[in-house]
Amino acid sequence: MELLMPGLGLVFWMTVAFGFVLLILKKYAWAPILNVLHERENKLAQSFSDAKRIEQEISQLAVLRTEKLAEAEEKHKEIVSKAQIDAERIIEEAREKARQEARLINEKADEMVEAYKQKAMREVRSQLSALSLDIAEKVLLEEFSDKQRNARYVNKLLDEVVMN
Amino acid sequence: MSNLPRFNIVHSLKTSSYFLVAALCLLVAGDAHGKAASFADEIALSGSHSTDEIAADEKPEFNARKVIVDHVLDAYDWHLFDIGKREFSIPLPVILLYEGRMYVFLSSRFDHGYSAYKGFRVSKEGHNKGRAIRVLDDGITPDPEASFIYDFSITKNVLAVFISSVLLCLVFVKIGRRYKDADIYSTPKGLPAFFEPLILFVRDQIALLAIDRKHYKKFMPYLLTVFFFILLNNLLGLVPFFPGGANVTGSISVTFVLAMFTFFTTHWFANKTYWQHIFNMPGVPMFLKFPIPILPVIEIVGAFIKPFVLMIRLFANITAGHMVILSLTALIFVLGGVSIILGYLISPLTVLFLIFLNFLKILVAFLQAYIFTLFSAFFFGMAVPDEHH
Repeated sequence: MELLMPGLGLVFWMTVAFGFVLLILKKYAWAPILNVLHERENKLAQSFSDAKRIEQEISQLAVLRTEKLAEAEEKHKEIVSKAQIDAERIIEEAREKARQEARLINEKADEMVEAYKQKAMREVRSQLSALSLDIAEKVLLEEFSDKQRNARYVNKLLDEVVMN
Repeated sequence: MSNLPRFNIVHSLKTSSYFLVAALCLLVAGDAHGKAASFADEIALSGSHSTDEIAADEKPEFNARKVIVDHVLDAYDWHLFDIGKREFSIPLPVILLYEGRMYVFLSSRFDHGYSAYKGFRVSKEGHNKGRAIRVLDDGITPDPEASFIYDFSITKNVLAVFISSVLLCLVFVKIGRRYKDADIYSTPKGLPAFFEPLILFVRDQIALLAIDRKHYKKFMPYLLTVFFFILLNNLLGLVPFFPGGANVTGSISVTFVLAMFTFFTTHWFANKTYWQHIFNMPGVPMFLKFPIPILPVIEIVGAFIKPFVLMIRLFANITAGHMVILSLTALIFVLGGVSIILGYLISPLTVLFLIFLNFLKILVAFLQAYIFTLFSAFFFGMAVPDEHH
């Protein structure tokens, strides 16, 4: 029975001592220790998650890289083919234009040639008429100068008329 | 993710356990020897004093029960050893408040309990056994009209509590200072390397197991303190010589105080849901609560029983362990009293068994510290249940 009787003094001193130990250790031991443990675990967990995240990012980046490469290749091809088509189109256009222009020039030239021709023809005609008149005049004058022959011719004509 | 630190713990526990086992092997050997020696002296002493106390009718007999209980109980002085018939002990201050007067003197005045001083004497039997009582002028008869003695003496257990408190403070404040300066990435070395696994054990296997993750932090200082306090005192109780050997955790006063700390901590931090569960348990028919509050009464009684069980468990386990060791040692002397040859025959066997028992008690020292802390944590966990539940 004596074992089961709490002693007033021991209870009192135990309360005091344990209370002090609790307060002192709480402030000077458990707080810093638990803090460090907590921080260390946080840092560790963070490092792990960081590593995981970075790994994921790297694999994602690799995928992205191949994707981008393929895309670039595609784009490159597209651009090149487009350029080819463009070039062909431009050349064709230029050709067409040139052709048209040439035709226009030809037409113009034809017109001009025609105009010149007309003009020349007109000139030739006017000169020809003048010249022919001149010649005719000269011929006539020449013809009229030989009076014997004229008379003979007139006689011949008269003969013909008379005979008729 | 947490594999890394856990490997460290296992590793350091392994290393430290070799050291512990080696140290305790030495202590065990000393323990069995020391206890046997002090028993032998006690027989001689009880013989020498019995002549003036008890009627000297026959040869003094070895009273195993008395010796065992004396060893388990608190004392006014710290017995060290005996040489011949002389007892050597550390006298401790006796502080008594009696009828408004304070009496302060050294326990050596009691002459190991054989004489009275200023009307006080160490009681030899009854429920006050081992405590100071008021005696009549003859120095022996207890005063039948004596009023209550407020006994604030620094007894053996009080001194042991002080010593272990100082030890705890020294060790852990030193560790705390190391942690304050330390780079958090560095692996612990020295004292922190030994104690960090234990601290992590208390946190992960006790606090986090029993208490919600949101609330466990505020209970950690108490759980750690109580774990290391009990552990240290359990282990010191196994050491047979000063400053060990005091039966601190096997003293009902000490376990009472520890249980009260758990009780008050529980109810200081208890939240609304806890109180609601006590006074108005939800989901229970009304007739259990009103007009006769059966359930609230049960719950309130339960709130007191929980720390009470804590108190009894620790006290009983440690005291029983001491008693078994003492009984086995006493067996040598009981049988030796019958026949000297029988005593010699039984002693090697007993010592072997004592060695085994001491190992068992090392296990019990850890186990009881763990159980007390774990159950405290469970009570805290019950005091802070989830609000929406």
